Amino acid sequence: MSDPVTGSMLWMRNIGMVFSGVRVLEAVNLDVRAGEVHVLAGENGAGKSTLMKILCGVYTPTEGSVELDGKTVKFRSPRQATDHGVRMIHQELSLVPALNAVDNAFLGQELSRAGWVRRAAEEVRLKGWLTRLGVDVDLRRPVEEYPVSVQQMIEVAKALTFDARILIMDEPTSALNRPEVEQLFAVVSDLKAHGCGVVYITHKMEEIYRIADRITVLRDGKYVGTARAAELRQDELVKWMVGREVKEHFTQRTAHAGDEVLRVQRLSVADPTGRQAWRVRNVSFALKKGEVVGLAGLEGAGNHEVMEALFDTTSGRVKGAVWLEGKELNRRQPRMSIREGLAYLTSDRKGKGLVLDMSITRNTTLASLKRFSPWLVLRNRAETEAARRHGKAFRTRYATLEQPVKELSGGNQQKVVLAKWLETRPKVLLLDEPTRGVDVGAKREIYELIDRWTAEGIGIVLITSEMPELLALADRILVMHRGEVTAVMKRGEATQERVLAAAMGQGDEA
Amino acid sequence: MKKRIMAILLEPVFRAFLALLLMVVIGLVFNAHGAFFKSGTHLDMLRENSRYAILACGMTLVIVAGGIDLAVGSVLGMTAVCFALFTIHWGWPPLIASVACAGIGLATGLVSGALAGQFRIQPFIATLAMMVFARGLAKSISGGEKISTSIHQADGSFKFGTLPPVFEQLSGRVWNDTIPVVLLVLLVTALVCWVLLSRLRWGRYLYAIGGNEEAARLSGIPIMGSKLLAYGLCGLLAAVAGICHAADEQQGDPEAGMGYELTAIAMVVIGGTSLSGGRGSIPLTLLGALTIGYLDKILSLNNVETAYRLMLTGLIIVCAVLFQRAKR
Amino acid sequence: MKTIGMMTVAATVMVGLWGGTGWAQEKKSEGNPKKVIGMSQCNRGEPWRVQMDADVKKAGEGAGFEVLFKDAQNDSLKQKAQIEEFINQGVDLIIVSPKEAVPLTPPVAAAFKKGIPVIVLDRKVVGEDYTCYISADNKKIGKAAGQWIVKRLNGKGKVVELKGLMTSTPGQERNQGFREGIKGSELEIVFEADMQWLEPNARKEMQSALSRVDKIDLVYAHNDPGAHGAYLAAKAVKREKTILFVGIDALAQEGQAYVEQGILNASFEYPTGGKEAIDVAKKIFAGENVEKNITLKSRVFTKENLRRGGDELGE
Repeated sequence: MSDPVTGSMLWMRNIGMVFSGVRVLEAVNLDVRAGEVHVLAGENGAGKSTLMKILCGVYTPTEGSVELDGKTVKFRSPRQATDHGVRMIHQELSLVPALNAVDNAFLGQELSRAGWVRRAAEEVRLKGWLTRLGVDVDLRRPVEEYPVSVQQMIEVAKALTFDARILIMDEPTSALNRPEVEQLFAVVSDLKAHGCGVVYITHKMEEIYRIADRITVLRDGKYVGTARAAELRQDELVKWMVGREVKEHFTQRTAHAGDEVLRVQRLSVADPTGRQAWRVRNVSFALKKGEVVGLAGLEGAGNHEVMEALFDTTSGRVKGAVWLEGKELNRRQPRMSIREGLAYLTSDRKGKGLVLDMSITRNTTLASLKRFSPWLVLRNRAETEAARRHGKAFRTRYATLEQPVKELSGGNQQKVVLAKWLETRPKVLLLDEPTRGVDVGAKREIYELIDRWTAEGIGIVLITSEMPELLALADRILVMHRGEVTAVMKRGEATQERVLAAAMGQGDEA
Repeated sequence: MKKRIMAILLEPVFRAFLALLLMVVIGLVFNAHGAFFKSGTHLDMLRENSRYAILACGMTLVIVAGGIDLAVGSVLGMTAVCFALFTIHWGWPPLIASVACAGIGLATGLVSGALAGQFRIQPFIATLAMMVFARGLAKSISGGEKISTSIHQADGSFKFGTLPPVFEQLSGRVWNDTIPVVLLVLLVTALVCWVLLSRLRWGRYLYAIGGNEEAARLSGIPIMGSKLLAYGLCGLLAAVAGICHAADEQQGDPEAGMGYELTAIAMVVIGGTSLSGGRGSIPLTLLGALTIGYLDKILSLNNVETAYRLMLTGLIIVCAVLFQRAKR
Repeated sequence: MKTIGMMTVAATVMVGLWGGTGWAQEKKSEGNPKKVIGMSQCNRGEPWRVQMDADVKKAGEGAGFEVLFKDAQNDSLKQKAQIEEFINQGVDLIIVSPKEAVPLTPPVAAAFKKGIPVIVLDRKVVGEDYTCYISADNKKIGKAAGQWIVKRLNGKGKVVELKGLMTSTPGQERNQGFREGIKGSELEIVFEADMQWLEPNARKEMQSALSRVDKIDLVYAHNDPGAHGAYLAAKAVKREKTILFVGIDALAQEGQAYVEQGILNASFEYPTGGKEAIDVAKKIFAGENVEKNITLKSRVFTKENLRRGGDELGE
């Protein structure tokens, strides 16, 4: 069954992947042995998900080969991967909410005889796995009626019903509570004992050492190394994950900190899924004029929720107090927040930032239309003037200002969104991933802009998943893990290793 | 230079104009023994389609904001009944009756807008409900009968009222008996809607909401207020069209306006506005209205049988939309 | 095309909604000294049928009967159920104006066989299991209209025919009868169009006729609203004085009113048979024999004879 030399049943060798000219994976190796849990570790964007999507047939790699049982295989669809016993449990739920557990589990791969679905057989098989997972659900009710954790378990059971030999789990515990996590781990050990190979992705240090037999680390799409968990110390692991030099292109920011402009006290945000009570618990911090405060955290840490709750509380329950220049902001809806001097650049540029069909000019003035139409009638010339001014200041590249923004590149689109928020004349800028999907040149320009704004006295709260960027830009960093602030570091104190360790909850929960 | 011409050719307005031109050429070829060359034919066409175009203007506001209003036909019927009732039976002065009808139309639109905006009912469903409800209301107000100058008495006999002059005035023509009054009503309507959409802040709000509601909300745009504005105006314009309809028919028919919402939507769509929202304009809609108007007129002039008329109309709508969408 | 999908959905939902809004009156006739008549109307959405119900109501109340009205909202199966309800309720007599012959034959026959007299109005059922069938003859009326028009125009002239829905029997018969009536004359049909019984359509078609044809002597429309629409179209181009307008149905509120106001020159009555049905019911309750099939006499209304209630048409 397995490779007689290495004992591995799966080999991914020299995998490379290029997406529309951008290299995301380079010469990555991964081998999985029967009966082991292999943790795949790395920062956000290190290439873990891409690698796993290649393994389960979603993407076809540009370079390299995948060998299963010593034979080279090429999966062209998830279906082919499934047929070879490779299953993936996705991070986001992939169940169809209105269908019941059985229909979900066998969706597209129904057990059938002469065209008739063998429902009874399906139910027996799924029930068996659900029982082993300790989950009791009515197989005929739509899965949406169950909490997310149960849905997650159904997802696990779904993967197991097809006798997976290689099971990929992408952060399976993110929606589970303690007892459920234990249950899941018990099943994982069970699977190991049955000779199943598990590839496990997690951001939780505690989990890594609890469950891993071996660890492979990726960094910036490159292979760093593989080691037995027992032989890789925590600090060594962190070094593997971050170990890169801070790149040259950061201008050294000078601190401009002045008076306090924003104060946040005991901010808590309710979990929208209703699973845990609070997604964010008791976050407090203050921001001075011209200061940049970074909110660090790995996926699911709650830093994005903190930022959203500062600007917009319409979507969920929020506790705690926010003061802007000494004035308490009680009901924070976008209209009022903007009026008070907050501006919020979302990470979802196309979904929440831009009106793609609208022109550059119109997007630029979107959040400050009142100033451009004092008597309701829009002053087109003033609008164009503002758009041109920002275009010049941001060095935005466009054909005409009347061009729809959907025709612009990612970096230029981002500059338009930034222009929109600058046009509201904010006191505090909330920037969520300002350089996501932006090319290197535009990134540098955005850094310079941030520097200029702080010089003008604007306070900035920054979230970025690029660690060097965070370290270079932030005067202070709040590190979050599981909804709480686990460390606060000043510039100079913060190193990649320390931030990452805090973000993984090291020393906090162990 | 070539690029410049291409850009002009790809302009939605140009395309809509081309579709209209094509229709006129068809009319010139199939001119029905010269009937197409008479100015009266074209004025008739304009008069006949002005009511639809008024509805289409209101519909444009709603569609630009990413919604749809299926209730306009029913609201037209209801306000036609109300207008006839107020003026003929109750003897209200035309101005007061018109304002009352406009208020009724506005109210139906505001309800639709509130259902779609505040209660997050899909616009299709919310306005479908309003469509059925308003039709029922029209029937209940009128007692299922046409409201005309023959007034039902309690003993079953009829009394004949006189037709208030406003009916003749609204359905008549001015300037040497050439320009239909309802066409002027349409032009005023179109002007108001055009100013709103392209010159006022509120119009910009509608485009932003239709283009990306979440981005608009996060940019501080009042979603609810804007939707109320769009649906409210759409309802109001349906009432304006209803008053014109009553004047035209010299009675208030509770069955009036059946299916008009689809004609109005077709006019907006043929103009090149997409139903997904965020795009479109009043000039486009007017071009679409003319295209449909001419199509209908040409089919009628040439005495084409109903069965073929329906099939041809369907085909031409599809062709026009495909033509609008064609890329370089 | 989104519009078409939308149309389908809209139509479906509409029918669904309207179908669900019917309300039933439940009344037991036991112990009630009054004779109870059940009246099932196929569709109260049409003014002519509203008139029929009104005629039944007026005559029925005059005769001291209690009449229960039901509206099938243009749905054969709903009407079938309504007749079954009447049977179960034990009414003394059923009047039905059926939507369609075939689906309504079994319930009518069932009532008849149980000894409940059934009077069928306007549209027929299959077979002989009913007590009395009362109807007017569209073909005869169309023919009479044609003959009247020939006489009025002295056998010569240009005529526009605005037809009712040509896929419906009344439309076809009013057309056939009319053509029969004008046979042999020098009348010329210069324009004909299907206006589907709808006034706005009639108006639109008339506009086309006016554009195409310079001289029109008379418009024959298959219903009065159609003739009214044609009149408004002619009036818009100031040609209404040179054209005669003739319609059919002569409902008090529509055709007769138009004649009274000088809009139509003539309207031919298509009688509802409501009053006659009650007359027949009286005879049945009195134990008299009634004719199995009754064809209603039609009347023509003109400005001259309107006051005296129109003139009856001969054969």
